[in-house]
Amino acid sequence: MSATQLGDVTPVAVAPPNLERRDLSRHPALQLGLPVLFAAAVLLLWEFLCRAYAVPEVILPTPSAIYARIISAWPFLVQHAVPTGTEAAIGFLLATVLGIALAVLLSYSRWAYAALYPNVIFFQLIPKIALAPLFIVWLGIGSPSRLAFSMFIAFFPVVIATLTGLNATPPDMLRLCKALTARSWQVFLSVRFPYALPHIFSGLKIAVTFAIIGVIVGEFITAQAGLGYLILFASSQAETSLIMASIAMLCVVGLVLYGAVAGLERLILRKYGH
Amino acid sequence: MISLRGVRKTYASPAGPIEAVAGVSVDIAEGEFVSILGPSGCGKSTLLMMLAGLENITAGSITIAGQPMVGPRRDAGLVFQDATLLPWLSALDNVLFPIKMMRLPREKYVARAEELLHSVGLGDFMEKRPRELSGGMRQRVALCRSLVHTPSIMLMDEPFSALDAITRDEMALVLLDLWARHRKTGIFITHSIREAVLLSDRVLVMTKRPAVVVADVKIPFARPRDESVQDSPEFTAIVARLRGMIEHSIKVAA
Ligand SMILES: Nc1ncnc2c1ncn2[C@@H]1O[C@H](COP(=O)(O)OP(=O)(O)OP(=O)(O)O)[C@@H](O)[C@H]1O
Ligand SMILES: [Mg+2]
Repeated sequence: MSATQLGDVTPVAVAPPNLERRDLSRHPALQLGLPVLFAAAVLLLWEFLCRAYAVPEVILPTPSAIYARIISAWPFLVQHAVPTGTEAAIGFLLATVLGIALAVLLSYSRWAYAALYPNVIFFQLIPKIALAPLFIVWLGIGSPSRLAFSMFIAFFPVVIATLTGLNATPPDMLRLCKALTARSWQVFLSVRFPYALPHIFSGLKIAVTFAIIGVIVGEFITAQAGLGYLILFASSQAETSLIMASIAMLCVVGLVLYGAVAGLERLILRKYGH
Repeated sequence: MISLRGVRKTYASPAGPIEAVAGVSVDIAEGEFVSILGPSGCGKSTLLMMLAGLENITAGSITIAGQPMVGPRRDAGLVFQDATLLPWLSALDNVLFPIKMMRLPREKYVARAEELLHSVGLGDFMEKRPRELSGGMRQRVALCRSLVHTPSIMLMDEPFSALDAITRDEMALVLLDLWARHRKTGIFITHSIREAVLLSDRVLVMTKRPAVVVADVKIPFARPRDESVQDSPEFTAIVARLRGMIEHSIKVAA
């Protein structure tokens, strides 16, 4: 073997590293299976404890009793789920349109921003549920007051997320646009709005759950129809299993609406996500 | 010709005015490639932004081809440290972005955009999104984007500073080649003395903030150049001289 000189290149044999560490918790079957399994275990434990200690049904019905109630009251549950779901969806859509519109206005007008933004934050901070009775006073006990209230509480997360998103464009990108003498509507449509989309969707996912809360609170107060009304009615009759059945139905409504937003997000962020 | 006469820039800040550029007077001929070297925070980017018409000039004047600078001009191409590509557009659409923003007919520029991408070795990557490209490839797309609208000036603010050393050397050669083809007036900010000497006709050395030009060094190597100029003793000598000047400029100002 000769002595290594400066600048000589010595080839080094490299063993292929074994980087494949098996992380079982990331397996797709487990990611779906594990939470389902866990929930099933909790339900089983619930069933078992209720039976073992003979818990009265008025206090806590067993999962099997709730299931039986869902089956027997099914048409009734669906009949009340429809207005709840529809009103929440409309409230959410109104909040989306108005929230994005306000955020766009705030991001383009210094005056509007200075005058309105602190107020938006103020409303964001106060517990808006406390204002629900006012909506009944102003708009009566019909659908309009529930819609308006649902829209009102879903509106703020949309405004704030959109505003954050519209400011997420890298400053150099805006400089480039300016140097190219782009018009501000072009910059908005081609750059700022697409950059804002991931933020807007995270706001919309919060907003859709808020919209449902808004409708339920409205139904608690107006007591006309809907799952909120059904829960209130069942509790006045001490029908705990019907309360639980209504809550289960509400979960379905929530999942459907949230799923719709999350599905649209997936579709749009496949193109605009980064 | 680009003429700067006593160009100053003072930023207003809550802590009082910040004088970033203090009286820069330089002439840059058409088709000349000029690099600017200077300590960090001395006002190089500020000067470039004034040349792009994106910052107003506190005092003095900039004229380009006899026209006083008043605002953004469509004949400048910008390259930043970050490629700043739009993540949802293909490489080709990113190159064509200036055409869209300038409201020019896309059809007339597609061929040019494709040719530019070919010339930097991205012919097979035109439909790829930025996230599918390496850092060096993204910066190549940004270089093409700065040329697509046939500007007369290329303004580059540390375009290779975010890249690793090997990619960076490679990019300097890509730019050398691209510039040889298009011969725009080039203004190039860098912290790499070697890069500046390799690419430029002239190198300007600036002082600490507030910046003034303390040295204006002509780089004598013939064009077209290639990487071999870096091996010549003159190259090493110029790099050493510039290094000395920069160290001196920092000390003097301190
Ligand atoms: N918009 C601004 N408002 C106030 N001060 C600013 C502004 N932009 C830059 N400055 C200040 O002006 C000085 C020069 O900044 P500039 O970005 O031009 O330096 P630079 O030479 O490009 O630095 P670097 O080498 O780090 O990029 C700095 O002290 C900076 O803090
Ligand atoms: Mg800078």
